[in-house]
Amino acid sequence: MSAAFARIRVWDLPTRIFHWALAALAVFSFTTGKIGGDWMAWHLKSGYAILVLVLFRLAWGFAGSRTARFAHFVRGPRSAMGYARGLLAGRPAREVGHNPLGGWMIVLMLAAIAFQAATGLFADDEIATQGPLAAKVSNAVVSRMSALHSANEWIIAALVALHVLAIVVYRLAWKTPLAAAMVHGWMDAPAGAEEPARRPAWLALVVLALAALAVYALVEIYPMR
Amino acid sequence: MKHAAIAALLLAATAVPALAQQAMKPEDQIKMRKSTMDLIGYNFGSLAAMAEGKKPFDRDEAVRNADLVAQLAALPRRFFGEGTSIEGKTKAKPSIWEHRADFDQKMDKLGEETRKLPAVARGGDMDAFKKQVTEASHACKSCHDDYKAK
Repeated sequence: MSAAFARIRVWDLPTRIFHWALAALAVFSFTTGKIGGDWMAWHLKSGYAILVLVLFRLAWGFAGSRTARFAHFVRGPRSAMGYARGLLAGRPAREVGHNPLGGWMIVLMLAAIAFQAATGLFADDEIATQGPLAAKVSNAVVSRMSALHSANEWIIAALVALHVLAIVVYRLAWKTPLAAAMVHGWMDAPAGAEEPARRPAWLALVVLALAALAVYALVEIYPMR
Repeated sequence: MKHAAIAALLLAATAVPALAQQAMKPEDQIKMRKSTMDLIGYNFGSLAAMAEGKKPFDRDEAVRNADLVAQLAALPRRFFGEGTSIEGKTKAKPSIWEHRADFDQKMDKLGEETRKLPAVARGGDMDAFKKQVTEASHACKSCHDDYKAK
């Protein structure tokens, strides 16, 4: 490693835990949905947990650590194109946090996963499982939501595949260990790069608790009323 | 004499569906299979809720539900005649009629698994009950996954 790099903490603990928890739950949800039967009870619970995580991440995107904030990584098409040009030339700029293309990937994946969890609330598999809010809306809505819930799983699968492929390419072509950074939080930043500010973990816990409370009210309390 | 009359009546009653099937309009077949599926869903939903512990196990109700599911599950396949894949009127995929043998096999499986429900509902062994409800729901799902549009 040349001296032109400095090791800094780029991802805070809450963002890293969020990432791997979401990855695990997404795989679990997909699998339990495919198996069906008595696993559907877990499929629903997994969906609620994902909803909690997504709400947490949205809030953390505004109130969280610097590199977790949308304002930090959601950039205009021009900078995304500029970054993409460098990428195609084989020399991606080394960014502290999400790069401009990766930033859009985060937005897309979060949106698709939020959409999946939200449609699931109203879905009915027409065997023995209904989302907790299916009884609250018309059958036309339930039918539409169920169809969207089915179709969107392949959009998520495609986004995840692209995401994983990008990680592999960065690792092999540019020796950039993105997955490892998401595990331990450290990266080799260009010398002189400042370590991004982190918010305290207790704040993340408070945000997570609020998100859990909101989802609990939505899926356990509201349907009983 | 009276017995003979009843026997004749029963025979006629069981013969009607077979005769009716020949002449039944595609629209009516769709209506019939949807209705029976709805009734299966209603009764099976009750069994699944008890199996999952969403509602307390009530033996009488479970037996009633299970008997009905076992009986009703034999019906829908009679109403998947040729020409009953009508766009906009049914979620049944046209591929049913291209893979009829596979479809029939899945319907056989549904019959096989649902016929075991009444015994486990009567038996009162919760593990056996749960296991059989799961088996039956897998039978539903394997056919829905392949042959029912979302």
